[in-house]
Amino acid sequence: MNHDINVKKMRLNCFRQSKVPGEFMLQMRVPGGMVDAKYLSYVEHIANTWGDGNFHFGTRQTFDITGIKYENIPAVNAYLEQYIKEVDAELCGVNMDTVAHEPQPWDPKAGYPTIGARNITACVGNYHCICGNCNTFELARKIEPIIFPSHYHIKINIAGCPNDCNKAHLCDFGIIGVARMTYHPERCIGCGACVRACEHGATRVLSLNEATGKIEKDPCCCVGCGECVKACPASAWTRQETKFYRVILGGRTGRQTPRTGKMFLNWATEDVILGVLKNWQKFSAWVMDYKPEYLHGGHLIDRAGYKKFKEIILDGVKLNPECLVAEDIFWHETEYRSNFNVKPMALHHSAGPQNG
Amino acid sequence: MGFSLTPAQADAVLSALKQDYRVYAPKRFPKQGRYSDTDVIRYAEVERFSDIVWDVKSDYPAKEVITPIQQAIFYFTEDEYRASKAKTKPILILARPCDINAQHIQAKIYAGNGGYEDLYYKRVRDLVKFAMMECNGGDDTCFCVSMGSNRTDDYSLALKFSADGVQVQVTDDAFAPYFAGMAEADYAPAFVEENQLKVTVPDLDDKAVRLALKSHPMWKEFNSRCVSCGACTVACSTCTCFTTRDVIYGDNPEVGERRRVSASCQIAGFDQMAGQKEFRSTAGDRMRYKVLHKFHDYKARFGERHMCVGCGRCTHRCPELISISATVSKVSAAVEEIKASMAQQ
Repeated sequence: MNHDINVKKMRLNCFRQSKVPGEFMLQMRVPGGMVDAKYLSYVEHIANTWGDGNFHFGTRQTFDITGIKYENIPAVNAYLEQYIKEVDAELCGVNMDTVAHEPQPWDPKAGYPTIGARNITACVGNYHCICGNCNTFELARKIEPIIFPSHYHIKINIAGCPNDCNKAHLCDFGIIGVARMTYHPERCIGCGACVRACEHGATRVLSLNEATGKIEKDPCCCVGCGECVKACPASAWTRQETKFYRVILGGRTGRQTPRTGKMFLNWATEDVILGVLKNWQKFSAWVMDYKPEYLHGGHLIDRAGYKKFKEIILDGVKLNPECLVAEDIFWHETEYRSNFNVKPMALHHSAGPQNG
Repeated sequence: MGFSLTPAQADAVLSALKQDYRVYAPKRFPKQGRYSDTDVIRYAEVERFSDIVWDVKSDYPAKEVITPIQQAIFYFTEDEYRASKAKTKPILILARPCDINAQHIQAKIYAGNGGYEDLYYKRVRDLVKFAMMECNGGDDTCFCVSMGSNRTDDYSLALKFSADGVQVQVTDDAFAPYFAGMAEADYAPAFVEENQLKVTVPDLDDKAVRLALKSHPMWKEFNSRCVSCGACTVACSTCTCFTTRDVIYGDNPEVGERRRVSASCQIAGFDQMAGQKEFRSTAGDRMRYKVLHKFHDYKARFGERHMCVGCGRCTHRCPELISISATVSKVSAAVEEIKASMAQQ
């Protein structure tokens, strides 16, 4: 076969290069990892018609279909039109005729316009899980039109609770659903179930005051998991109606500097989360001087420095009164090579407007 | 006499009733459930007709109105004390037949047990009249028919709710004036005649059978399944156990109040005696105690009927999905096994 294929263009189109020359793996976006099960028939059809009959759960919760030959990609893209329209445009409200919010007409027969902002992953959240504090995929669907389509990269993982099964700690922008609790002492029987639940499953912030038979709480260290609510036999602990979120920033895997993310925001409302993410394009564009590179968000924060990141990302965002913001963040990276960052000036990365 | 009310008319009647009564009904508390984005339905004073939750059963029973989870019973100052004051305004409780029957059982415990009437119970109970909510059949945890608590005649009003309003039967003349001028209608309440769930209570009259049942391996299942949280007893229509707790207001230990707080036989430490002795130290022991109390002991002492009214709330609230009806069936199977084994000896 003719091996003259622009693989970077294919990657941008969400077709990943195979070790078999001329074959590709399609990655279908599934925002929040939840769609109508009817779309599995689309996966089956693509895999059986143009792929090798197999299907892989993408590590970022995409539907991945392997073994698609280069010459079949136009047919696959044409078939994808309905899926992209229904899932991204209709379900998530994505304006497909933009890239990074700038007008750019989308050819509906040409598949995904960019791989940029990665598929938003999510655990099943409170749609199903007894631990979940928020509806993770509904949040993902609200975020999708903010970050996609865009050539700027960001990996967002949404976890429904601080158990963080979906690893918000290992992506650029991890969102964790947290609850703020209300204590109703008049319903408390002083059994101590919440104290034990917090001790065994969370951060030991509760104690039973033997003199009053009621619970005392150190709210400072509460992680907002809601285990106290789950444990209470009398509904003496309830979650407040408002949903809150924690943002874990700058986590990543990778060959160079893998690291766990650190807390950027705590007790932020959905409006704050969406407002912050609306500044993501602006921040990315500033760091890379409006020239998108294949580089994930955490690296951009490294280049700009956290304080610059904070300045741009919080610009115009009205924080809710409960919201706490990290004044500074000190990440701890795996040191594959000691003094990894000490190198010739010529190898240093730039950030912000470049002359010429 | 009967009436048919639109929601607007029902609101007007409720407003008038609230002049003379504290009106309690099942009310929805949005997003206050055990799990995120789930609600709790529990008894509270209702302001509007639309506050009344009639289409599904409440998570917590009507008993909370009469015997709240916590109440101050007296206040003390050095060598003096005085009883807490009770509100004197009459109470109207909207309740299904199971909850009304449960109050007859509560009355036995609080005011018909050992020749002593509990002041704090009695002074509230005497203010209570019931508006019976015609039950639409409950849910798949209900078994009132099996327990004989599907019917009642202890009500001043009977109510049948629908999306269009409410039909009312007035059986207590004192309530007639509130409905003056409303459209009359022929309404007599119906009672649930069959539940999806049917429970056969085992015959435990034989003491030897009961003794064998006590050590039957069936209870071991609950050592791993039951977390001893007590949600079942808090949700129970008929459980009455409470403890008292003295709360000292400040640094003077002679000034404070004595509270009555619900207690649960399912929670470890409930039966702890001086010297740390516990009679029921495992979840299985505690489950056995509860089940036999509800399905044998109470009736053995008071006659008439079993303590359980079959409201199903314990099953409904159990975080470990332990079903009381399934448990009673397991007891029945164990009893059959024990009897067969005894017959062979």
